[in-house]
Amino acid sequence: MNREQMVEELSKIVGKENILSSETDLLLYGYDASLFKGKPDCIAFPGSTQEVSEIVRFCHREKIPVIARGSGTNLSGGTIPTKGGIILHFSRMNKVLEIDIENQRAVVETGLFTLALKNQLARHGYVYQPDPASEKVSTFGGNFAENSGGPHCLKYGVTTNHILGAEVVLSDGEVIQVGGKVLDAPGYDLTGILVGSEGTLGIATHLTLRIMPKSEAVKTMLAIYNSLEDAGRTVSAIIADGIVPATLEILDKLTIKAVEESVHAGFPLDAEAVLLIELDGLKDGMERLAERIMEICRKNNAREVKSAKTEAERTQLWAGRKGAFGAISRLRPNYLVCDGTVPRTKLPEVLAQVMEVSKKYGLTIANVFHAGDGNLHPLILFDERDEEELRKVHLAGSEIMKLCADAGGTISGEHGIGTEKMKEMFFVFSLQDIAAMRKVKKAFDPEDIYNPGKILPEVQT
Amino acid sequence: MNRDELKVQFYDEVAKCNHCGFCLAHCPVYTVAGREWATPRGKNALVKAIIEGKIDWTPEIEETLFRCTGCRLCTQTCFPAVETNQGVLAGRECLVDRKQYPKVIDRVVEALESHYNILNEPNVNRTLWMDKLEGIPDHRFQKEKAKVIYFVGCVAAFYPMAHKIPQTFIQILNKADVDFTILGGEEWCCGFPLIQAGMKDKMQKLVEHNQEKVKDIGAETVVFACPSCFHTWKEKYQTDAELLHSTQFIERLIGEGKIAFQNGADRTVTYHDPCDLGRNSKVFDAPRNILKKIPGLNLIELEGNRQLSVCCGGGGDLEMIDPALSAAIAQRKIEEIQRTGTEEVVTSCQQCIRTISGYARKHKIKLKVKDITEVVLEAMG
Repeated sequence: MNREQMVEELSKIVGKENILSSETDLLLYGYDASLFKGKPDCIAFPGSTQEVSEIVRFCHREKIPVIARGSGTNLSGGTIPTKGGIILHFSRMNKVLEIDIENQRAVVETGLFTLALKNQLARHGYVYQPDPASEKVSTFGGNFAENSGGPHCLKYGVTTNHILGAEVVLSDGEVIQVGGKVLDAPGYDLTGILVGSEGTLGIATHLTLRIMPKSEAVKTMLAIYNSLEDAGRTVSAIIADGIVPATLEILDKLTIKAVEESVHAGFPLDAEAVLLIELDGLKDGMERLAERIMEICRKNNAREVKSAKTEAERTQLWAGRKGAFGAISRLRPNYLVCDGTVPRTKLPEVLAQVMEVSKKYGLTIANVFHAGDGNLHPLILFDERDEEELRKVHLAGSEIMKLCADAGGTISGEHGIGTEKMKEMFFVFSLQDIAAMRKVKKAFDPEDIYNPGKILPEVQT
Repeated sequence: MNRDELKVQFYDEVAKCNHCGFCLAHCPVYTVAGREWATPRGKNALVKAIIEGKIDWTPEIEETLFRCTGCRLCTQTCFPAVETNQGVLAGRECLVDRKQYPKVIDRVVEALESHYNILNEPNVNRTLWMDKLEGIPDHRFQKEKAKVIYFVGCVAAFYPMAHKIPQTFIQILNKADVDFTILGGEEWCCGFPLIQAGMKDKMQKLVEHNQEKVKDIGAETVVFACPSCFHTWKEKYQTDAELLHSTQFIERLIGEGKIAFQNGADRTVTYHDPCDLGRNSKVFDAPRNILKKIPGLNLIELEGNRQLSVCCGGGGDLEMIDPALSAAIAQRKIEEIQRTGTEEVVTSCQQCIRTISGYARKHKIKLKVKDITEVVLEAMG
């Protein structure tokens, strides 16, 4: 079907003003925060589940790919239109539909920004726990599709632990309800399958979320180390002691240097690593727990452990972590955030290997990551315009994923697979595993119109 | 400017954009438009695609590049601090050279070329705001020599809604015994609208004239109540005179004991940081210090304050080019003000006042919008 016809058909559903199809717009909806690019056929802005359903029904009839998009912040190419098709952009569907404090649930449209809900919940003393770095702009639809994480997911779990139900448009345009406000829905756990499916199985339009009361108290500490290995060992030791802090974040030497040059968080420049630890929960017993953690840090050769005594000191400690990305990204024009997970105990070993990769390719790699759940984020610095360097970046990224897989970990912690890591799926899954996943895809989307060219590598049979 | 020059000057800058999308949370244009063309990320992508020859100068690129308020909140909140607005302005220069720009700009250019003000009125009318004041001295504040020049700016001089700013500011200066003058019909537009229009080449004549006037008068200080004139002078003018915004000058006068507050003000207000004064010229404390000195006046900050202040919608010629978009941004600003629970917003910019109170008046929203000079004069008694 040619573009004019497509626009005409879609206009009947959402109105002409909610369709974009100029060359300029096709370029603007062909990228996300990854290194990949594509080109859609047009972009539609639905205003309701009904409109989404009608568009999908039309696409299903005409075999046109459909790619749902929120803020396009995803890092693995999840919203890249690899085979053309229609981008469904959810910026018009961004309302909080219900905040049910008594039952600790919220219902939202999927175009809503994560932080927008959090700001509303704060007025009730409540929180939605997952905190992806992009939360100020990441949409709930994107969180749902990528199963997003964040620093606080160590204690509270990732997005899938906080989505209890969804209204979903299937690939033939049918609308279904999965899960709901109750804790355990009978039948197959379709919500579980759909969260993290990167828009390849269904498109959510409404979500039912778990919300929780804000913690009574917070305690933030910073441990400083002369070796990255010791910082890594501390993380395992804290968890092994039966303590699950809200966050355990490590910054390495290169990151510390960059941070100090830009935000002056007060990290010592000669340190090899710092570990940022935050506890949250009830006031009672927190000091005792903090003492125990500091003791563990010292046992693992921390040369100094600081504890924030005021809110201002806490902000100061977090400033270094929050400013880390920015500080590093000023060193070179571009950065690739790798996302892999390893068992905590393997952190020191794998980090050393990552540094070997850095040397091998002559690429600068900085590390700032969610150490508590073994989620590494090596940041590879480069200039996208240098093709040779870009080629090395892709090779190094893939090699780091191999290291994670070989250490008994996996190739994603929170960014998904998208187009970026399809072939790396073989590092962690057998042909049979992938064939089983493909059966699920076929059951939901036999025509392969939902976000084609993602997650599952082609398998020769 | 052409594509090659654009590449030499801005390729490295736009290449720093990793399209992470974090700017979408802040850009006032995206917040109301909800389309990727509105985002700073999108603007960087288009400038880059132009440089790389991947796209031509389409009509949509013109629409996009001329819809940016120049507030620079994107740069403030961007990890690599990409100067998106610099690329946008350079893109506008390219479009102007291709004669591909909103035709409304021609009216301004014509006005500036024939009358040196944006309204195309005889330039002597720059002092009409004085007519309603009583007890004006014979020199009408236009002296041959003075220590201080008060540069009024086109908007405050010509738009009745903003007349209260020069009316109150000259009374403050007078009461504080400042040896000052205005330039009257010899004040020419500072050139800011031309920079925004992508025609900065045309501003040299204006700059030279104004610089010359400072020399003639022998002024040590030039004071501006308009943040955009102030910012333009600081960036583009060469003068030995000290350049101050009215809030900085008032703060100094308070410190010297020349301004004292007789009247208390038993009320709560919020303060809106104008983009060109706050983020772009880094003047955050002076207005707050002034408000804190007024007995009984209670200041509540907006959610977006200081470096994170959100544009009112009136920046970067947007009001002229797309009034509906500008108004939609003003609506968001008013909602943010209302969330503080106050019914009075103080700011230090005539354009912010026009945009915010213009919207409030049109939609019958109960909101007092005041320039800081008014608040100061009231408290002086």
